Amino acid sequence: MKSKTILLVCLATLFAGMTATRSAAALTVGAKDNVQIGGFFSQGWLQSSGNNYPFEAKDGTFDFREMAVNVSTTVGSHLRLGAQGFAQRLGNYGNDKVMLDWAVADYNFRPEFGIRAGRIKYPKGLYGEALDLDVVRPFVFLPMSVYNPIMRDYNSSFDGGMLYGSLSLGRAGSLDYKAFYGDIPMGIDQGVADYFNSAGVFNAAGVQTLQLDAVGGFSLDWNTPVSGLKAHLSWSRMTELDSTGQFGAVPFPLTLNLSLPEMNYSTVGLEYVRNDWTFAAEFQQTDGTTLLNAAPIVVNNRGNYGINNWYVSAARRFAGRFEAGAYYSVATNRFPSSNDRRADKELHDYALSVRCDVNEHVTVKLEGHYIDGSYNVFNTARTPNPVMKDTSSFFAAKTTFSF
Amino acid sequence: MKSNSLRLLVALAGFALAATAASAAPVLIGNKNVAAEKIDGATVKAVFLGKKVAWDGAGRVVLAVLKTGPVADEFLQGSVAMNASAFNNHWRRLAMTGGGTAPKAFDSAEDLRKFVAETPGAIGFVDAAAADTSVATLTPAS
Repeated sequence: MKSKTILLVCLATLFAGMTATRSAAALTVGAKDNVQIGGFFSQGWLQSSGNNYPFEAKDGTFDFREMAVNVSTTVGSHLRLGAQGFAQRLGNYGNDKVMLDWAVADYNFRPEFGIRAGRIKYPKGLYGEALDLDVVRPFVFLPMSVYNPIMRDYNSSFDGGMLYGSLSLGRAGSLDYKAFYGDIPMGIDQGVADYFNSAGVFNAAGVQTLQLDAVGGFSLDWNTPVSGLKAHLSWSRMTELDSTGQFGAVPFPLTLNLSLPEMNYSTVGLEYVRNDWTFAAEFQQTDGTTLLNAAPIVVNNRGNYGINNWYVSAARRFAGRFEAGAYYSVATNRFPSSNDRRADKELHDYALSVRCDVNEHVTVKLEGHYIDGSYNVFNTARTPNPVMKDTSSFFAAKTTFSF
Repeated sequence: MKSNSLRLLVALAGFALAATAASAAPVLIGNKNVAAEKIDGATVKAVFLGKKVAWDGAGRVVLAVLKTGPVADEFLQGSVAMNASAFNNHWRRLAMTGGGTAPKAFDSAEDLRKFVAETPGAIGFVDAAAADTSVATLTPAS
């Protein structure tokens, strides 16, 4: 019932957006026009076949929406304050629970140097900070090997501080840098918990606690002298990512601790925008070690963890309001078991997408995926796949109202 | 006959080109308190991409842009090497992720010029014919 009410509100908002005659990039209020309000509402429909992927949708579902509202203002010449609330529902994840997406105090001393503090978007990959922004891309889903929508809470923002700036390199272009440190609040109701649940070491109740000690790293974007060509490099390290739950391999209560003392994300990417075309490619390697403890049965059992993720994408705007895009995205387990088949250790995602800008505020997207492989396809209470298929597909339709 | 048609076509093409050029002659304008700022091509780029948020002596940068049209395309392509769509996406990304304050967007050059004239620190672009003495016409140093 609650879902239907939210769906109706979203549809009404979208209709209001379609019939709007006055438009602006962001609503400004206040006597000096220095308060900005913006946001978006989206509602989608998704149906998968083969496996429930990326979330439970084999019967088709409207439980696919996102919404956000942000407010920002400036104080004096250099200080900016702002915050955004965000809620989403992806199948059995999110539950429309409103969370603080970002809230920053940003002091920009000069183009070369600024400081940001608060809850800050996580700069990982070309599009890591813009995970939720349907309006800036043709795709419903960013390439999921690098930008897994179920892991959004884990990849979206962190609490801490950031130094940033843009350095001129003369004829060599410019370099935008960000360096950051903080921590990511985690909960067992978030999608990232299912990543641990799918490891197969906890009992049916799943992971019971989840926490991270710290995350830190940097991001570099080189705006090359070739117009429209940007090169990206980012690296971040998470430390002491710990989970606990009941050990599923024994018939009696026994607490199991599964932790990753260190996990590193290294990403390189290229984006080239020329006229109506946008090309992008990224490669991301994750690596770390796992540590299992369920004394006295399992003591300091160490393992290696790592994934190679990459994609190539192309998109082109045409006829003014349309954009078509395609990508090929691959995830490969770097440390598979010796008895893993190809489908168990790899996932190849072929996606085709079409976007139509109905007006300045409303976009409609259609997208089809063919998935070859089942690596990182969950079989959990929230994404059940009791019989895992080697191939699957899904179709998504999504409309977004942004203001 | 054939020759006359050809001349007519060439004349029409020339007229169309001239009309296009005349309709897309953007000039940079600023509030009069911005007139004393040192502005070159790199400054314009940094300002319009949100990297420079404060003037040396004129307070906070307030950006004003035309939403669409040949003047916007011409200016944005020339100053930040982006078309209007890419420029809008750049600012949507910044504004929606806590990275900047979005420009004030206008449908008409008159409204934009009036806003710039009344707002200290404001900078924008209009067609040359729309600039008047209420604003400072800025010529970036090369």
